[in-house]
Amino acid sequence: MSGNTSVTRVDVSSVAQAQRVPVHFLPCEIEHNGPAQVSEYLTTTTKDCKLEKTVSFRGRGLKGQELSCPQGYTGLVLKETNKPSSDHEDRTLRVSSVFDKLTYWNLETPPNSDDTVVMAMDWPELAEAIHGPVED
Amino acid sequence: MDLSRFETDNSVSCRLVSEIPDVCRTEDCCLGIDEAGRGPVLGPMVYGICFCPVSKKQALKDSKVADSKTLTEAERENLFQKLDEARSYVGWALQVLSPNTISTSMLQRTKYNLNALSHDTAIGLVQYALDSGVQLKEVFVDTVGSAEKYEDKLSKLFPAIDVTVRPKADSLFPIVSAASICAKVARDRIVKGWNFAEDLGDVDTDYGSGYPNDPKTKAWLLKYLDPVFGYPQFVRFSWSTAQTLMDSKGVTVHWDDEDEDGEKAAQRQNNKSMLAYFSAGGNDQNPSRQTHRFFTERRLKSLDTL
Repeated sequence: MSGNTSVTRVDVSSVAQAQRVPVHFLPCEIEHNGPAQVSEYLTTTTKDCKLEKTVSFRGRGLKGQELSCPQGYTGLVLKETNKPSSDHEDRTLRVSSVFDKLTYWNLETPPNSDDTVVMAMDWPELAEAIHGPVED
Repeated sequence: MDLSRFETDNSVSCRLVSEIPDVCRTEDCCLGIDEAGRGPVLGPMVYGICFCPVSKKQALKDSKVADSKTLTEAERENLFQKLDEARSYVGWALQVLSPNTISTSMLQRTKYNLNALSHDTAIGLVQYALDSGVQLKEVFVDTVGSAEKYEDKLSKLFPAIDVTVRPKADSLFPIVSAASICAKVARDRIVKGWNFAEDLGDVDTDYGSGYPNDPKTKAWLLKYLDPVFGYPQFVRFSWSTAQTLMDSKGVTVHWDDEDEDGEKAAQRQNNKSMLAYFSAGGNDQNPSRQTHRFFTERRLKSLDTL
């Protein structure tokens, strides 16, 4: 934080090799950073009826919905391959995968327009209105 | 007994029924209720009702149905066969509560405990018999929780029916034994042929009785623990056996409705303690800039560090 002069770089060229992957946003905090058997457990048990998806995670019922990234935006999953040993060194992040939609899950209640993530998608459009160039 | 309706989707609760014998719609009937698979950490819990005309009680008794727990699996299958042969006057219905239904109910935000779930299931089955035109006069139930309270509850709901709730009703009343046989046969078959919705390859089906203290069940639970997802839907996540194993061998998962020590939760979420506000120096990072509600409500942060 303060007094830290290191630079964090995103290796943009890695986007080209990045795979498009399904992304799930779960209503809980999982103390795990690494691979998980998502397709074996979650995808295979997900039920898709009309507009609502249902599944359970750790015995709790979830309701979900597909959420698209704001128009013109791409979601990135960043990965740090070589963690620096001190905070003075520069850091490089690679784009490990990209996504243009994600499955957003709520605990027991269906996702709705008051949910944080759903609302967050409003920002780019608003930002454009505030900060975008003004046309004469 | 056709289980295919449950087997096509074994994640939900499902009702399986026999034909209603014509005679049950015209003559006064008795009905027994029992369940199978209440204790196991694996597989569904099956609720069963069995009914026949009061005049056929003796015939049922002569067929030597007995408490399903005292019988071997083969004997139960045999007796179920007999019940099936008596289909001109004996009917049954089952409610299969999938392990996933049990887990998600018991772990719901507003907890729905197993006793409440059991009572509601039993009530639903009695209502089904009534709705199907069965002339119910007597109902016999094996107790779940306090027999007296349960009997009271059922009598109030079904005032026209004479309700008897007894511990060990399955060994006292043949119609309850019959219900217990139907339920147990269904549970055994379902557990044996469980179709895992998860993509786990060839699953070892040597899971023993499913009771938490069975060494085979324990070994199976150890073998099939996934650090992130925990277990396939075949396991009841609400059982302490499963939870203890996930706590010790899996990764920790936090939910926002969990009872968690306030201070610990704050620490985890990187919140400052109340005392920090009173300490000298006012080491607020940037007191001049407060984030607008628009951003906090959307959990949007400007990214300056990772």
